[in-house]
Amino acid sequence: MNTLLTVENLKKSFKDKEALKGISFEVYRGEIMAILGPNGAGKSTTIRNIMGIMYPDSGEIHFHQQTGEGIPKSKIGYLPEERGLYKDVKIMDILLYLADLKDYPLNKAKERILMYLKKFDLEGKENTSVEELSKGMSQKVQFIGSILHEPELLILDEPFSGLDPVSQEIFKEEIASLAANGTAILLSSHQMNLVEQMCDRVFMMQHGEKVIYGTLDDVKKQYANFKCILHGENPPALLEKIPEVDRMEHHRGRSVLHLSKGVIPHQWLKQLPNELDVQELHINRISLHEIFIDIATDKHLVSQEGGS
Amino acid sequence: MQNSMKVAKWELKRNLKNKTFVIGLFITPAIFILFFFLGTLFSDSDDNTDTAENMTVYVNEDIGIFEDIEAINQEQDLGWNLQTTDRPQSEITEVDEPYTAYLFINEQSLEENRIATYTSEEADPLFPGQLQALTVPLQLIKAEASGLSQQEINQLMEPISFVEGTNQGESPSNIEENSLFDLENPWETIIPGVFAGIIMLSITFTGMAIFQSASQEKKDKIAEIILSSLTPSELMQGKIIGYFMLGLIQVAVFIAILLPFTIWQTDIPILENLFVPRTIFFVLIALLSYLMFASIFVGVGATMSDVASAGNMQGLVMMLPFLQFVIIGPVISNPDGIVATVGTYIPFTAPLTLLIRLTLLDSWPWIEIIISVAVIVLSIYVFMKLAGKIFKVGILLYGKNATPKEIWKWIRM
Repeated sequence: MNTLLTVENLKKSFKDKEALKGISFEVYRGEIMAILGPNGAGKSTTIRNIMGIMYPDSGEIHFHQQTGEGIPKSKIGYLPEERGLYKDVKIMDILLYLADLKDYPLNKAKERILMYLKKFDLEGKENTSVEELSKGMSQKVQFIGSILHEPELLILDEPFSGLDPVSQEIFKEEIASLAANGTAILLSSHQMNLVEQMCDRVFMMQHGEKVIYGTLDDVKKQYANFKCILHGENPPALLEKIPEVDRMEHHRGRSVLHLSKGVIPHQWLKQLPNELDVQELHINRISLHEIFIDIATDKHLVSQEGGS
Repeated sequence: MQNSMKVAKWELKRNLKNKTFVIGLFITPAIFILFFFLGTLFSDSDDNTDTAENMTVYVNEDIGIFEDIEAINQEQDLGWNLQTTDRPQSEITEVDEPYTAYLFINEQSLEENRIATYTSEEADPLFPGQLQALTVPLQLIKAEASGLSQQEINQLMEPISFVEGTNQGESPSNIEENSLFDLENPWETIIPGVFAGIIMLSITFTGMAIFQSASQEKKDKIAEIILSSLTPSELMQGKIIGYFMLGLIQVAVFIAILLPFTIWQTDIPILENLFVPRTIFFVLIALLSYLMFASIFVGVGATMSDVASAGNMQGLVMMLPFLQFVIIGPVISNPDGIVATVGTYIPFTAPLTLLIRLTLLDSWPWIEIIISVAVIVLSIYVFMKLAGKIFKVGILLYGKNATPKEIWKWIRM
């Protein structure tokens, strides 16, 4: 793997609160890595430290074999969580300004702006004032601003927030296409379904510390056991007879059985009682969404059950 | 620096494309011209009134001073309609004819230093003051009659000056030379002073727009996007340079419109007195003034979420450039006085006070000038450093105004 960004033992405190407690991770060229965690976990602080908008108390960030102020900001694209655009200017003007700040040739930028405006259904809007745009349109312009200069590393903090499903799909496709062309992408999002669909690896954090780090499959293997969703009229006493179930939720004919670690699904199915009423049955791993909720609510059920 | 220039260029372009700014650019000199015309209009109407109501002055004299009075009337443009009269003083108890006066000048009245004057009830209010112009020729006649030599008369008639401070101890002839020199060309210092004053006020007030600009990034939530490409100090410097350039454009437009107009409408020798070395020094003071206020504005601007919601502290800072106007009166009336001297050493009042004093004073207090410039330069350095620290943190604090306590914490960080 060709490592583009390395974060090593990053620490940052505000007043007496430790926002980052020595986190480390890497982002590879051509991959989409998700940085996940509940609000206040330290995601945006991590990102701001990478971008040089904040300075870490200790730890190092390497990009292109450079560190600190030597990091070439022109090779990084950034879409922050709290974002906006100057209101009283034309779309073309603001995008050219952003490209200029990244030292990108303006004639080339102009071509790419027109190309992207067309791609994002904003064709012919280049001379429209930003204040005339809807929120979704404005988000698209901000996104164009972050990828216009062909960055090698693209950092997206909540890129899907406030977008309708159609726009989400357009963003998703574009992000995937950039990764396919070799751009390293660090993505922070609360839309776990989208993260699950798009990302190669995840770094999940809570209280400024790493909780989970690895490929999506590895994480699921390591942290998520199987669960069985069963539809049918079954008395609780009967369900309790089912072996290798750690926890059970039962509501109006729908039962969720959380299976023990190490259960092999097809062998477990053979052990179900004959009198069980099965109208519908699904077996799958716990989703990233559930892992996230688990971590965010500090239940640590997943880690306890998963034994990590 | 390259990034700062990009920001400066952007601020320049953005404002020049802004209709409000462009309208403001031309409307200020237009307002000046309008007021000039209004003033002329009113003064013309006054003149007409004067012409219609000129004083008719009847002079009954036997000492041969009538020609001298005529000459003074012409020289000083008193507008009197002068007539000689033989009517004796005893005939006149009151003057019925409006705008009319009688003067009875004879040896006896000269002896007693009392000239009998009869003025109509309706008269030019300036007339009693205008009469004072006759004092000198009358005293001259009296002195000649008393048998004094011409040299003695000259010495006697020489006006007594009250001279303060720096000129004390100089010989009377030197004082006379200085005042003569100044009277001959008062524009020599006034024009560079006014020119630099216009630049100072114009760029300082344009600099106040930095307030808005610094909080604009926060209001529009674009600060983080911009800071992903450059450092906070580059952004800050870019804004200061950008608004400085905008201020200069404003001054250029202002002067380009007003200068030809002033040359056309007045006899003031502007060009001859504008391109002199002291203009460079005065303009330098104006530029230093801008840098000082701009660094304060940009720092404090970054602590506000929006100009409209400025807190008490921010509001006070916005008023800082106006502090100079509070002491402008005492400084003009006494450029060597205590208020002027102290004002020269206070950073916020130093630039304008220094400019006014240097414009009005005959000889420059060099030590005070050096200390004052040093105070301004040191203030710029300190305010730039503080602004840098405040800007770095403040610019990312979206949606709320920073409290003085928070700002103090950022400064100490």
